[in-house]
Amino acid sequence: MGTSRRTFLLSSGVLSSGALAALACRSPAAVAPVRKPSFYNEGAEPHVDHALARAKQLGARYADVRMVRRESQRVSTREDHVVGIEHDETFGIGVRVLVGHSWGFAATSMVDENGVKGAVEKAVANAKANQAIQKRPVELAPTPAVRDSWHSRVVRDPFAIPLGEQVEFLLALWREVERVPLVKHANASIEALGESKLFASSEGTRIEQSITRIAPWFEVTAVDTEHGEFESRAFEIPPMQAGYEYVTSSRLKSDARAIAEDAVRKLKSPTVSPGVRDLILAPSNMWLTIHESVGHATELDRAFGYEANLAGTSFATPDQIGKLRFASPLLSFYADRTTPGGLATCGYDDDGVATLRFDLIRDGVLVDFQTTRDQAGWIGRKTSHATSYAEDHKGFPFQRMPNVSMAPGSAKKDLQGLIADTEDAILVTGDASYSIDHQRFNFQFGGQMFYEVKKGKIARTLRNVAYQANTLQFWNSCDAIGGADSWELFGALNDGKGEPMQFNAVSHGCPPARFRRINILATDVRKGS
Amino acid sequence: MSGQRAVDPMDLAESAKKLAAHVAPGAGCFVSVQKSRFANVRFAQNEATSNGDDDEYSIGVRIVHGKRHAVATTNQSSIRDLRKTIERASEMAKLSPEDPEAMPLVEQVNVPPVPLAADPATAALEANARAGAIRSIVNHAEKEGLVAAGYYAHKSLDRVLVNSVGLRQRHASTEAKLTSTIRTADGRGSGWAGDESTRAHEIHAEAIARVAAEKGKQSVDARPLDPGRYTVILEPAAIGDLIGFLLGELDARRADEGRSFFSKRGGGNRIGESLFAKSVTLRSDPADPLLPSSPFDDEGLALRATNWIENGELRNLHYSRYWAKKSGKEPNGNAHGFHLSGGEAASLAELIAGVDRGLLITRFWYVRWLESSSMLVTGLTRDGVFLIERGKVQHAVNNFRFNESPVAVLRNVEAMTRMTYRIPSYGTLMRVPAIRAKDFLLASQSRAV
Repeated sequence: MGTSRRTFLLSSGVLSSGALAALACRSPAAVAPVRKPSFYNEGAEPHVDHALARAKQLGARYADVRMVRRESQRVSTREDHVVGIEHDETFGIGVRVLVGHSWGFAATSMVDENGVKGAVEKAVANAKANQAIQKRPVELAPTPAVRDSWHSRVVRDPFAIPLGEQVEFLLALWREVERVPLVKHANASIEALGESKLFASSEGTRIEQSITRIAPWFEVTAVDTEHGEFESRAFEIPPMQAGYEYVTSSRLKSDARAIAEDAVRKLKSPTVSPGVRDLILAPSNMWLTIHESVGHATELDRAFGYEANLAGTSFATPDQIGKLRFASPLLSFYADRTTPGGLATCGYDDDGVATLRFDLIRDGVLVDFQTTRDQAGWIGRKTSHATSYAEDHKGFPFQRMPNVSMAPGSAKKDLQGLIADTEDAILVTGDASYSIDHQRFNFQFGGQMFYEVKKGKIARTLRNVAYQANTLQFWNSCDAIGGADSWELFGALNDGKGEPMQFNAVSHGCPPARFRRINILATDVRKGS
Repeated sequence: MSGQRAVDPMDLAESAKKLAAHVAPGAGCFVSVQKSRFANVRFAQNEATSNGDDDEYSIGVRIVHGKRHAVATTNQSSIRDLRKTIERASEMAKLSPEDPEAMPLVEQVNVPPVPLAADPATAALEANARAGAIRSIVNHAEKEGLVAAGYYAHKSLDRVLVNSVGLRQRHASTEAKLTSTIRTADGRGSGWAGDESTRAHEIHAEAIARVAAEKGKQSVDARPLDPGRYTVILEPAAIGDLIGFLLGELDARRADEGRSFFSKRGGGNRIGESLFAKSVTLRSDPADPLLPSSPFDDEGLALRATNWIENGELRNLHYSRYWAKKSGKEPNGNAHGFHLSGGEAASLAELIAGVDRGLLITRFWYVRWLESSSMLVTGLTRDGVFLIERGKVQHAVNNFRFNESPVAVLRNVEAMTRMTYRIPSYGTLMRVPAIRAKDFLLASQSRAV
């Protein structure tokens, strides 16, 4: 059925023979929903009602309950054989209560009368114990009570695809690359993730949602045993909120050999000469720079010191709204949990607030932060931006990054056009090493492939490249970006935040962009004896 | 109703094994059951923020049909869910191609239990005890006009492994962890301290508050210092951040395949080479009284005391059962706790006294791979970097990004403390000393406080 439908193009980001694949991943095909949650059939409603009623009895002025089922299936291969087939399922209930000034939370996987009762009591005990160390009362921004459901769109449910078909797809990738000289290893996998949840609150909201995500992966390693060197090259394909059709309509198979040849090309390429150079970033690289330096910097709880013990605080603070020149006037960044295919896309957040699109940086100036119901009032906002999320039933819902993207430019320019306009620069595609300080100033990123651009053309491949900059200096040095047709969506399944750490899946879209005078490092430190 | 049962993990594992024999007759099976309780409270801005308390099972079933195998896991303990999980694993295994690397199920070897690894009082800790620890940190910070954030968590695990060829292993453990970052109200200073132990009563909230507050106050007015190569004293938390990368690389297969720092040019690996300073020893031993850990690994393989690095020489790499068979070696299992030692210095003060010009570094942040053939990683300093001159701490300096290799650090060791410290960690348990090492590359400045 997939062939007759509009299928969305996948960006492999593969550069073969110097030709740039300018394929955009815009929006997934929208068809019939699958993976409706099944727990309505399991007598879940009484437990939800019981938990809310019990919380009220024990003195909660607000309570919400999430019943969450998560499934993941992972098929992985190395070279010509399967190394793992795994299926994981968790199910349970998380109860959050507001007693007096404080939050209390507890969870259990034992969803029966006793289990639910115990969880409510422990949540209330936590809230009461914490009263003594609570100063400002938790206040929730108002949100309308809703009864609704929302399901992500997929064409082919990945959990219904025969394992044999998935295995064969992955092993076929090895057959594409095994004859490329020096290519010794390849790892490949397909991971499917299903998340179904029922949210109910004491305010009368009841929302059923389900999300299907899929993450194909392919990486090739070339080894030069004689010289004791090796290089790996990963396919630039992001995880996506989609079904199995995302795998089969991708360029994984058609470009597998080019990926292997890239690995060998890297192995034979010279190390970059360090220094200050102009930089062109493909969307397959820049998404992660946006994630770290824009996405995390505009989390309101971080700006208020709530993450100080782990991920740190932020250079961006609410008093700078409307004032901070965050980026070049060419650049606007927005948050959007309605982006089609976006990993953080859903109908409602884990506070039960309808998702929306909002600007974070408009024409280069900081204009807003990511908020939840208990944070909106901190900066005088009347409503939440719907960015609450908990990884599973055990997770305390807190502020998590929505899809944060860079708006495309108005000019009809693509990556080829940017290259053609550039005298001397380094082009980076794909992501690899990444690190940023605990206030989001100093960052350093690597990549999958590095190309030297000379006089409007790709001159040669380089290796061992990293770029290091300060966030504000970096985004203000941007002098050209691609247009709407060059905008692509990338992302990750495993953005970690909080203690205990919870993982959030999030996407970032952007066009390619050029930056002036950036510090380029050579990461080539040959192993010592 | 879901039919959930709060049952003993060994009973649950044995029921799953019997059920597997019924559902998939003739197949091999391996069952792991973990019963856990995990509770925590988080604080920031001198007040409580989030918290949690949960009970969970984690039940994993591997079904083996000849050389075909697959794993299904669930957190549901009802017979119906166990059956569904076993059926799923069996169906997946049948559909899977043969795995040429498949190894037979692990046979039972009796291992000495490690009773020191579990503390009943820690397993039973309640909300008021957690809140009390936080309150003493917050009180300390408020008295000094400082702002505290942090995290207190404790967990208890009861873990059982059984299989269809007679494996029957059980290990109980507890863990309590308290960390705090204390900042000045103007945000110009930040300090950190933390501790982790098998026993919650060994964690001293007041002591953690004192150290974090002192570092926070001392790090105000950090003076700018140029990047470059410095002699550094890395406190245990910083060492832990680096050594985690080294542990992951102690893999014989990747070394033999030519894709690791431990690969030998021309083929093979570097076991037997003196790659580190003479004083450095890295050991894993489940019965280590200072770091008790599981006496078996995730497959049920008995873990013996192993020297990975001894007096600077690489003595062992991890051999999986498959790679060991292929290489004619003994498999040595995936150890759960690592202890780095060999120092002679009586204290951190003695390490400092021996520095003419160098830096004292509290901890690192966001350490990630940069280049794997030289095991190069990048990351940043945070929560207290101090200039040492003529054997004395002089003043705070700015933070830095470093690009450095844990191998180089352990090669450039000048001195280490005799005392080792357990690092608040995620997963693998670690105990390490404070280390003084020369020529550490601080590559660029960071304005972050």
